[in-house]
Amino acid sequence: MTSDLQTFVPRPDRPPPADSAGVAAWIRKNLFSDIPNALMTLLGAYIAFTVLSAVLNWALFNAVWSADTRRECLDAVGRAGACWPGVAIWFENLIYGLYPKDQVWRINVGFLALILWMVPLWIPRVTSKIGIGLSAVMLYPFLASYFFLGGDKGVVWTGLIALGLTGFVIVWATALTETLQAKTAGAWLIDALGRANAEEKMQTRIRLLAVLAIFLLACLAVWSVSFTEVRTRFWGGLFLTLVISGIGITFSLPAGIMLALGRRSNMPVIASLSTIFIELFRSVPLITILFMFNTMLPLFMPAGTEVNQLLRAIVAVCLFASAYMAEIIRGGLQAIPNGQYEAAHSLGLTYWQTTSQVVLPQALKIMIPAIVGNFIGLFKDTTLVSIIGLFDLMNMARAIGEDTNWLGLFIEPFFVVSLIYFVFCFAMSSYSIGLEKKLATGRDTG
Amino acid sequence: MTSIPELSDKTKQRGKLSRAIYDARIRSAIIQALTLFTVVALLFWLTRNTMINLQARNLSAGFGFLDVSAGFGIGFTLIPYKEGDTYLRVFAVGIMNTLLVAVVAIALSTVFGVLVGLARLSTNWIIAAVARSYVEIIRNTPLLLQIIAWYFGVFNLLPRPRQSMEITGGFVLNNRGFYLPGPVVEAGFTLWLGILAVSVIGAIALYIWAARRLERTGQSFPAILTGLGIVILVPLLAFLVLGSPLSWDMPELKGLNYVGGITVPPSFCALIVALSAYTSCFIAEIIRSGIQSVSKGQLEAAGALNLPANWTLRRVVMPQAMRVIIPPLISQYLNVTKNSSLAIAIGFPDLVSVWMNTSLNQSGRAIPIVAMTMGFYCAVSLSVSAVMNIYNKRVQLKER
Repeated sequence: MTSDLQTFVPRPDRPPPADSAGVAAWIRKNLFSDIPNALMTLLGAYIAFTVLSAVLNWALFNAVWSADTRRECLDAVGRAGACWPGVAIWFENLIYGLYPKDQVWRINVGFLALILWMVPLWIPRVTSKIGIGLSAVMLYPFLASYFFLGGDKGVVWTGLIALGLTGFVIVWATALTETLQAKTAGAWLIDALGRANAEEKMQTRIRLLAVLAIFLLACLAVWSVSFTEVRTRFWGGLFLTLVISGIGITFSLPAGIMLALGRRSNMPVIASLSTIFIELFRSVPLITILFMFNTMLPLFMPAGTEVNQLLRAIVAVCLFASAYMAEIIRGGLQAIPNGQYEAAHSLGLTYWQTTSQVVLPQALKIMIPAIVGNFIGLFKDTTLVSIIGLFDLMNMARAIGEDTNWLGLFIEPFFVVSLIYFVFCFAMSSYSIGLEKKLATGRDTG
Repeated sequence: MTSIPELSDKTKQRGKLSRAIYDARIRSAIIQALTLFTVVALLFWLTRNTMINLQARNLSAGFGFLDVSAGFGIGFTLIPYKEGDTYLRVFAVGIMNTLLVAVVAIALSTVFGVLVGLARLSTNWIIAAVARSYVEIIRNTPLLLQIIAWYFGVFNLLPRPRQSMEITGGFVLNNRGFYLPGPVVEAGFTLWLGILAVSVIGAIALYIWAARRLERTGQSFPAILTGLGIVILVPLLAFLVLGSPLSWDMPELKGLNYVGGITVPPSFCALIVALSAYTSCFIAEIIRSGIQSVSKGQLEAAGALNLPANWTLRRVVMPQAMRVIIPPLISQYLNVTKNSSLAIAIGFPDLVSVWMNTSLNQSGRAIPIVAMTMGFYCAVSLSVSAVMNIYNKRVQLKER
C-alpha cells in the first residue's frame, strides 16, 4: 500500500511573465507606463541633460587649466569655460586662510588628532564609544586650542592642554586594550600589576594614580613644546569655518540640554528665564545677533577690555545655536511618555538620575535627525561671519574675485566652495540617516 | 511634599537645617533665588559697564535721535523717502523693504516648493530623481553663498541696457535691474476695486453656503468653479464697462537707460531668486512628508467607499496632510523673513542693512537701534506663533 502512495512534489515556480521582469519591464513601469508618464520622462531627461551638459561643458571640457591672469582665460574661451588657475593659486588660502605657511602643519596635525580621536568610534570591538565620543567633544578643544593659537601659555592653560593630551592617550589606551584584550585599559593595568584580587578601593586608587601619572607626563610634554603665536586675524578659510562651527556644536549640545530641561522645569523662575532666552534668540535672525555682539560687546565689558573679533562671533554663534538646540531637545523630551518618569520615580531615582539614565537617552535618540539637521544648519550659518568681516571659507572665495590678477573671478571659486560645503553637509546628513536606522528599535519601526 | 511621612532614625537625628535642605520645596526656592540673583547681578553689571562706556564716549541711549534727519539716500524704497528725512522714516523704509522681500519670496517658494514636493513623489523615476537632486544640492549649500553667487555671478554679469534681454510685454532684464510695466491709476479705479472686493466677498459667501448645504442635505454645489467664475468674470466685465480704469506705463530705452515702469535693482532679483530656491527645497520636503504621513489605509478606505479621485484628494488626503504640513510651513515662512536679512551682503536696503548697519554707523546709537531691530523681528515671530498655537489647538486630533 504505502509504496503506491505518491508523494507530492511541487513543480518549480514558473518564471514571471517576460514583460514584468528585467530592465525592459522596469523601464516600462517606471518611465513609460502611459502617455503622460512618457511625456514626463522626456521632460525630466531634457532637464537633466541640459543642466548636466551645461555644467560639464563649463567646468571640464571648455575650461582653461593654465593661465596667469583672468584676462588670458577670457581671451582663450570667454565666459564659456571655467578659469581654474585662479582657484588653484588661491586654494591653499581657501583651506588655511592667511595662516603662516611654515606653521600650516599645526592645523594639519590638530585635525589629524581629531580624526585619530574619532577612529575608535568605528572599530567594532571598542565598547566604550560613548565615553570616547564625549571626550572628543569635551577634551579635544583644549588640545586643539594650543595647536591652532600657540604662544604664551600660563599655568592654567598648560593644565588644560595637558588634560586634552591625557584624554587622547587614555582614549587610545582604551581602544587598544579593548580591541586586543577585550577589557578596559584600567582592568588591563590592574591585571598586568597582578592586583586583580585586590580590594575595590585599592584598584580605584591604582587607576587614579595611573591617570595622574599620565597627566603629569602630559604636563611635562606640553611644557617642553612651544609654538609661536598665530593671532586669530590670520585665521581663515575652511579652517576658520570648521573652528567656529566646531565650537558652536560643542557648546550648543550641553547648553541646549540645560535650556530645554530649564524650560520644562517646574520652578517658575528657571522656566521663565529659559523661555525668554530661547524665544528671544530664536525669533531674531543670526545676523542681528552677530551685529549686536560685534557692536555691543565692547560696551558691555568693563572699560578697556579688548574683545577679540573672532571671540565675539563665536559667542554669538554659540548662544544662537543653543537656543535652537534647546527647542529640538524639548521636542524629544515631550515625546517621552509620562510612564517613564513615573517608573523612574517609583524606583527611587533622583531627578538627575531620571534625566540622565532614563529620559535623555530616549529623547536624544528620537531627535538625532533633527540634532544633526541643526548641526548642518549651524555649519551653513557660519558663512554669516563674513558679513562682520571674518575671512571664512566663503569670504575667502569672494576675495579671489577682488585680486587684481583675477578681477571678477567669482563663479569658479563659488563653485568650488559650494562643492566643499555640499560634501560636508551631505556627509553629515547621510551619517545621520545611517545612525537613525541603526538605532531604530523594532518597536519604533513597527 | 510638605511633610516627610516616614523618617528613619538617622534622618531624625539630623538637625532642622539639614532636613530643610532635603525638603524639595525649600530646595527649589533656594535654587530659584540663587539663579535669579545671578541673572540680576549679571544684568546689573552689564548695565553698569554700558553706562560707564557710554559716558566715556559721550553717547546717550535715548530715542531722541529718531526725529533727526538721517542724511543718507536709500536706493530702493516702497514709501516716498528723500535724503533729508528722519531716522524714524528710515526705520519704516527698512521694515517695508524687508516685508516686501518676505512676501514675494514666500509666494514664489510656496508655488515652486509644492511643485518640487509633488515631483519627488512622482512614480516617474527620472522626475523624482531630478527633484531629489535639486533638493539635495540646494539645501546642502549655504544660503548666503547662493545669494552672493546669484548676485555677482548672474545678475551683475547681465548685458548692458543697450543689449538688454527683452521679454515680451514690457519686461526688460539688464545689469541695471529688472524693468516691468507699472500700473497707472485712472478715473473709476476705486469703483472697480469696490466691485472686485464685492465679488470676492460674494464668492466666499457662496462657498460657505455650499459647504453648509452639503453638510445639511448632502447635495453638493460646484462652489469653487462658480466662485472662480464670479471672481474673474464680474471684475473683467466691470473693467471693460468702466473703460479700462488702469493703464500700464511701459519701460522704454531712452538714451543710455530704460525709463518708466517699475525698476527693481539686481540685488533684489538675486535675493528673491536665491531665497525662493532655497526655501522651496525645505517646503518641498514638508509637502512630501505631509502627504506621505497619510496612511495607506485611508486611501484604501476611500477607494472602498468608491469616492471619486478628486474627492479622495480633497476630502481625505489633504485635510490630514495639512495638519502635518501647516506648522513647519509657517516656521519656514518665518525663516524667510529672518533670512531676508542676508540682503545686507549684496547691498539691498532691508531693515538690517539700512537700520542696523547704515543708521547705526551714522548715529552711533547702538542700543536703541539694536533694540528696535530685534523688537521688530520678535514682534513678527511672536505674533505668528500665537496664531499658530490657536490653529494647532483647532486641528489637533481629538483622542480619547
